[in-house]
Amino acid sequence: MKRNILLLMFALFLLSSCVAVKEYKKVYVNDPDMKLSSLENERYESTFQVYREGASGANGGKTGGGCGCN
Amino acid sequence: MRMQLRDHMKKILIYTFGIFGFVNIANAQIIDTTKVYKKRVLENTEIDLLMSMYSQDGVHSPVNGGIGTEQLSDRTTAIVISIPLNADDVLTVDAGISAYTSASSSNINPWMSNNSNGLKSVSWGNKGLNASGASHGSGGGVNTGGGGTPSGPQNAINPTGTPWLASSGASRGEQLNTILTNYSHSSDDRNQLWGANLFFSDEFTYTSFGFGGNFTKLFNEKNTEVGFKGSVFLDQWRKIYPTEFKEYLQIGNGFQYLGYFAGVSILNNSGNVITSTDYLPLGFKPWDKSGRESYSMSFYASQIINQRFQGALFFDLVMQQGKLSTPYHRIYFADKPKYYIGTASDIANYTSPTNKGVYQLADAIETLPNVRFKLPLGVRMNYYLNETFVLRGYYRYYIDTWGLNAHTVNLDLPVKLSQSFTLTPSYRFYSQNQVKYFGPYESHVSTEQYFTSDYDLSKFNATQYSMALNYTDIFTKFKLGSLGLKNINLRYSHYDRTDGLNADIFSLGVKFVGGEK
Repeated sequence: MKRNILLLMFALFLLSSCVAVKEYKKVYVNDPDMKLSSLENERYESTFQVYREGASGANGGKTGGGCGCN
Repeated sequence: MRMQLRDHMKKILIYTFGIFGFVNIANAQIIDTTKVYKKRVLENTEIDLLMSMYSQDGVHSPVNGGIGTEQLSDRTTAIVISIPLNADDVLTVDAGISAYTSASSSNINPWMSNNSNGLKSVSWGNKGLNASGASHGSGGGVNTGGGGTPSGPQNAINPTGTPWLASSGASRGEQLNTILTNYSHSSDDRNQLWGANLFFSDEFTYTSFGFGGNFTKLFNEKNTEVGFKGSVFLDQWRKIYPTEFKEYLQIGNGFQYLGYFAGVSILNNSGNVITSTDYLPLGFKPWDKSGRESYSMSFYASQIINQRFQGALFFDLVMQQGKLSTPYHRIYFADKPKYYIGTASDIANYTSPTNKGVYQLADAIETLPNVRFKLPLGVRMNYYLNETFVLRGYYRYYIDTWGLNAHTVNLDLPVKLSQSFTLTPSYRFYSQNQVKYFGPYESHVSTEQYFTSDYDLSKFNATQYSMALNYTDIFTKFKLGSLGLKNINLRYSHYDRTDGLNADIFSLGVKFVGGEK
């Protein structure tokens, strides 16, 4: 039952997307700090984390390969 | 009753998703038939100048079999040039040079001579043979042994080495060169984007060639975005083995008193000089191939939820095959006798930083399966709180076929101090368990098929604190020739791992834009 309620909540959450935000109302979501990827200045940190940690990927950046890293 | 309710819920969900999909498609069709003003994807050429300084220290070097210094420093500079080829197409070239010094890598050959002429690189070997070692110094040194006969302690020159200090080997300092070119094209309505890229990198131990492509589709008045990215890396290791194995590979039986090790005393665990042929690394299996291929598919979907809130889902499927281990990572087996070169009195405190003069001869090199599948899933949620604060959140769950599970949480809080300055404190927490094949120094046994003592694959938690200051010149008032300054970014981070590794990184980025077209 709990699972179904969660699914319903998720569906309602998705439904909210049907009310599309118009271009002229996107001033907040177009702010550079609202980018849906790592910040540009995180580039070198992501690189060393790929070497020093076993996990990588799922951040819109490097997924594996291209270096003698994990 | 419960079953009926469940069926009812299922129907509601099916209808809900159906309506959601229909509305999205309908919206997309409405937009596709609307003529909109065509803005250039990139108005002017942009140039990013980037640099970073990184330093780390730790006590679990995989080159020394899981103990010893992990001191490393790295200086990186890069330039990224984005050129608008026309209204729809952008070409980006990203080139970088990274120069690093690594105590760990220098210990591929850990031994230094302490003979009276003050030579620091190892040069005691028999010059008549092809003396080697990844970090071997030039000839001309003392030749006290050789001649094809085992050397006794009376003519030994007693080179010293330790896992706790950097050696002076050639691999102490190296350079990594990278270049990435990317071409992207946007459709007239800016609702579709595709791109292709080429990558090449080269360093002391590794060469990589990669290529890939990506496709992005926007719909629902650009409120919804889905994308796919595929990439292939065809990489090549250089077969650089620890010095004792390289000698064994080149000379075979007798390597202990010929070539590089001529005239050098080999000690047992009690510190006594042994018959040099007692040490024979039968656990070492040289690589027949040295290629590594990586194939990845990345999917993502993003959604603007309201005027202040948006999120994205990321999902990667990665397959790697070939040599996934590192050829110069040493392994010491628990069921094999110990042999050393160096100062006998330091053997008792071998695993302590007080060991200044003895280094253990290895039993094998890291060996890992030839295939690994990785499945990371990430979620990002960004919320524009008000004119001052933005809250950025990210979570990733990772699982792979080597038994590694990891969780990553990242929080950023950009604070807009003024129209030009933004201060961004960040916190990152990372946690992983160990891969199935990991074992600390001298915990593996020689009957195992796979083994690694690389603590990057061990169980640990890591925390990172960062602070960034961003300056944006919205009018690009400061000029450098025909270029205008757009942005300066400074960032500092401190990273701590529960296994004792810590790191600091400082980075600087400056962005310039070209003049109006």
